[in-house]
Amino acid sequence: MQRNIPKTHIDSHMTKLPNKKLAYAGVDVGSLTAKSVIIVDGKIAGFGLIPSGIKSEESGQNALHKALKSAGLKREDLIYVVATGYGRISAPYANKTVTEITCHAKGAHFLHPETRTIIDMGGQDCKAIRLDADGNVKDFAMNDKCAAGTGRFLEVIANVFKVSLEELGPLSLTAKEVVPMSSTCTVFAESETISLVARGEKPENILKGIHNAISNRVVGMLSRIGVEDDVYFSGGVAKNVGMKTALEDVLKSKIYVETKFDPQLTGALGAAVLARSFSSKAIVDPVTVRAKPAKV
Amino acid sequence: MGLKSLEQIRKAVKDRPAEIVKARKNGAKVVGWINYNIPEEIIHALGLIPVRLGTGGDERLVELGSRYISTKNCVFVREIVGLFAEKKDPYIQNSDLVAIDATCLQVYRVAELIKYYFKVETTILPVPRNFDKLEGREYFRREVEAFTKKLEDFSGKKLDQKKLDDSIRIFNETRKAIKTLYKYQSAANAPVTWRETFEVVHAGYYLDRAEYLSLLNTLLKELKDGKGKSAGIKPDGEARVLLSGSIIPPGDTKLIDIIERSGGRIVGDDLWSGLTPSLDITVRDASIKGLADAYLRRVPHAALPYLDLASDRRLKNLKKQVKAHKAQGVIYHTLRYCDAFTFKANETKNILQKAGIPFLEIHTEYAGSDVEPIRTRAEAFIEMIKSNNELEALS
Repeated sequence: MQRNIPKTHIDSHMTKLPNKKLAYAGVDVGSLTAKSVIIVDGKIAGFGLIPSGIKSEESGQNALHKALKSAGLKREDLIYVVATGYGRISAPYANKTVTEITCHAKGAHFLHPETRTIIDMGGQDCKAIRLDADGNVKDFAMNDKCAAGTGRFLEVIANVFKVSLEELGPLSLTAKEVVPMSSTCTVFAESETISLVARGEKPENILKGIHNAISNRVVGMLSRIGVEDDVYFSGGVAKNVGMKTALEDVLKSKIYVETKFDPQLTGALGAAVLARSFSSKAIVDPVTVRAKPAKV
Repeated sequence: MGLKSLEQIRKAVKDRPAEIVKARKNGAKVVGWINYNIPEEIIHALGLIPVRLGTGGDERLVELGSRYISTKNCVFVREIVGLFAEKKDPYIQNSDLVAIDATCLQVYRVAELIKYYFKVETTILPVPRNFDKLEGREYFRREVEAFTKKLEDFSGKKLDQKKLDDSIRIFNETRKAIKTLYKYQSAANAPVTWRETFEVVHAGYYLDRAEYLSLLNTLLKELKDGKGKSAGIKPDGEARVLLSGSIIPPGDTKLIDIIERSGGRIVGDDLWSGLTPSLDITVRDASIKGLADAYLRRVPHAALPYLDLASDRRLKNLKKQVKAHKAQGVIYHTLRYCDAFTFKANETKNILQKAGIPFLEIHTEYAGSDVEPIRTRAEAFIEMIKSNNELEALS
């Protein structure tokens, strides 16, 4: 989706900026969280991460404001904004919208150029993406109509054990045994978990079984696109060390999780990277790319 | 200026139900048919009116049909049963006999159901699974012969050779015209869209076959003269997509709308509700045997087992269509519980990808709950094609 901008706007905007830094933003409005990342002079300068509200437009705006604040910038400092995530359909603050699949590829490539496969586990979906050495998407697959392997699923499970989401992964790693979980359907897995708890199974062993079941399912999806190293793990669930370990066990391969940068922000970062490249195209040829001044 | 002949076709489709009602009052009989391998030429030659039945995209009818057929059947089949349960569709209302062939076995089941629940007069045409073997061909010849006998009894007429010759000519010319129409729609600066082409194919389900052929020829002449141009033309430079997979019947526009709104231009298909029934039918001799052989020899439906991938004519045809219409990617549509196409998705993907053709499977139903996730997939696929195009332009 592209919106109109008079050529003169870009020209005047650019001429005003000779001594200014070149700042771009990406905004990723997901089902559970809204994220934004700012890039200045090719480097990450700030970010914002907030829970998504009812209105996705507002969530995107708020995440963007937070990111601007952390970068010490104002809205008018931004040259170009790209929105992504399921909330991208209502993002009037953005110059352009791009799918989260392309954005994750660009973000992962920016942070870890050796990435050839991405596993992204977000709030409401799970994706597998193959990319080339330049960060271009070559193939992808997504889960269908199912919450298995998503943040939402883990939230439901955490609720059964009355622990926080952050505790789930480390707890699963303390398991001495594995209690097999037969279902990855959120509703069935929840009731199966309740039955297992009632039977007296240890929480950590059940959790290990849950993480294994999810990993098997995700690897099944990965097999549809093929796996090539390095495998980059993104999305909120990438912060779950239990899931990383379970995936590595099934894949029999190392998985890369970014430690210096929140993997949940990968999509927003990719959007910012794309904002920079779209904007440079716009300067070369404003007619074909057509950006517009973004409203805040 | 829009295409005049397209408007004529639309008007003819609008007027057709009333025409059929009138014809029936004057003693004509209608044979509604569903599936893939009903030799329409025989119905037509016996002076019966052939109408291809079935619509899609209506969740309400699916729910209605689900009261009679298991929800583990695809939504297309459930919607057909819903159509018979509701009996508001003019072609369902006016079918004196419903003929169903056994290519897709889920569709075949409909014959039993509508006879049992709605007392519809039905007839079936068995189709061999070993369709590429001599035994299969001989079996089908005998079955088409028996099918003809049933239709003769139903119409009270004997199959006349001269009339059969005439019907075969009309259907051959119709198939040829549709193939030509597909060439126009995928050209650069095309004067007609794929969507309109698809609509024209569906008009052929209902219209009088001789009138339909004449309308098609008028349309082709208008396109050749270059005077008219469709209003829905997209600028060149859109991602060129070919649609494949499970049936997309009249009324089901969900995926088509999403692709077009995401910046994709559909440039062709290999759907059994699209181009494929017009391909590769050569009637070598104008007889029941000749027709039976011709139908079995054409591009096979995915419901028929084909174990040798190297010679699979369905896959060969798909690759051929991609090339002919300069498609840059294939979107493969599978309906939930349409096992025939869903099971073949992976092998189709592997074979196309080896040929360097990007592939995306969209697994869906008629309900609107997955529109946004599908939009994300379609948009990402189109972004991928466009990025491939840019890379190609640079190299």
